[in-house]
Amino acid sequence: MSTTFDPPAEAAAAAPVDWDRASRDNVPGQPDIWLFVLFETLVFAGYFGFYLYNRPRHPGAYLAAQQELHLPLGIVETLTLLTSSLLIARSVEAARSQQWNTALRNAYATASCGVLFLTLKVIEWISEARAGNTPISNEFFSYYYFLTGLHLLHLLIGFAFLGVLVHRLRGPAARSREVIETCGVYWHTVDYLWVLIFALLYVVR
Amino acid sequence: MSSAQIAVERIELPADSPARRPLAKLAWHWRNNPKRELWLAWYAIVAFYQMFFIVFFLITRAQPPGKPWWNSTQVVQWFDQMHNGLLWGFAVIFLLGGMSAFSTALIAYSMRRMSVSPAFAYSYLIMYSLAAVPGMLLLCVALTAGALRPDRDPELIHAIFDLAFVSFVGTMGVFLIGSVIWMVAILLDKNRVFPKWFAYLNLCNALTEVVIAPACIFKRGVFSWNGQISWWLDMVVFGIYTGAFIGQLRTMILREDVGTGPLPDAAPRPAADAAVPAGAAA
Repeated sequence: MSTTFDPPAEAAAAAPVDWDRASRDNVPGQPDIWLFVLFETLVFAGYFGFYLYNRPRHPGAYLAAQQELHLPLGIVETLTLLTSSLLIARSVEAARSQQWNTALRNAYATASCGVLFLTLKVIEWISEARAGNTPISNEFFSYYYFLTGLHLLHLLIGFAFLGVLVHRLRGPAARSREVIETCGVYWHTVDYLWVLIFALLYVVR
Repeated sequence: MSSAQIAVERIELPADSPARRPLAKLAWHWRNNPKRELWLAWYAIVAFYQMFFIVFFLITRAQPPGKPWWNSTQVVQWFDQMHNGLLWGFAVIFLLGGMSAFSTALIAYSMRRMSVSPAFAYSYLIMYSLAAVPGMLLLCVALTAGALRPDRDPELIHAIFDLAFVSFVGTMGVFLIGSVIWMVAILLDKNRVFPKWFAYLNLCNALTEVVIAPACIFKRGVFSWNGQISWWLDMVVFGIYTGAFIGQLRTMILREDVGTGPLPDAAPRPAADAAVPAGAAA
């Protein structure tokens, strides 16, 4: 995410007090949210580490269970979240240039992609459960439901961040570049965690 | 001098001042420091967590938890091996376990010091007060009962063992919601009581509490109550979180001006041999 800032002259006159603050900082958003990103990355690295440690102990069983997953559906889910990441990046960029309506439209579109991902994931879970693949079926599906469920929880929290984003974009008095960028950073975290989970569960054989 | 000034300023005393001697300094603070209750609570928290670690990890060996896949014979053997540790260790908890209230109270105080609704502090206070019973005391009571009469029916001993550890992991939802309450309060606060990164650390802690939920389903593997994910990784996160919140509470007390509105920044530390804290600055 670029931190360059070049608002139109007429918009700059009505800019909120902290509007150009982030342009002076080294990172987009609150520096504090980057500690969250770091910490969550470390925790997920722990989960992935245990998965990768246990998988070679029963390679055949893991591979057989992995082939039960719907890879095309996983790809669609991944593309949905990647699109949502692009949309929120566009929203933040639009907000930086104080194009509020564009920023809002992109924020709503991001939320729509989030809802689509949520729906697809629930459909996938139901499909797997009907096929007899439940969290207690085998180790692979224990990890599958655990990692995808925990990620979905991050996504649900992401909706709260999107709510804050929309609130900040709608109200002239509430607009804060730092908070808007912070919401973007959180959503990108949800996205990149999914990419890692997708690669690990669906792709890596 | 206003209370706010007392809280954040430091004065230098002559080198031969009696107040420079440790006992005299302690007595002075006892009489004059407007934050003495806060410091007492903070030191009680430090003492409690040290006691908790010594009792649960070293004396009783109740942590890490016993294996959930053990049969009744193995559970009875475990009680036999831990017999004295369980009885003596949990006697200490029955005597001093109430010190856990200081932690809840000081955290609730931190939220009352914020610019947010008192509902945050009261919700936290009530939830943690209730959760301490099944989350800590019930485990102690159950394991003590199991150790007290080793000649009981092994099946009954096994049931007591399960009750103890299921009770321990079953309260994690309370800690999850508690962490979220604290996080939201910090994010909404305008008094700068805690830094925002600490709010996000609360969120990390809350998300790792979720991980314990599968322990109700799995008796083996990484998701069981003693599993690498459900217990070991969680304990690392909880250890970091506990260290962070104890440190943050200390910083809060240092900055506290016993007033309202935004907390001032902490006063700079004086040179070690030239000054002592004045007023509330400890």
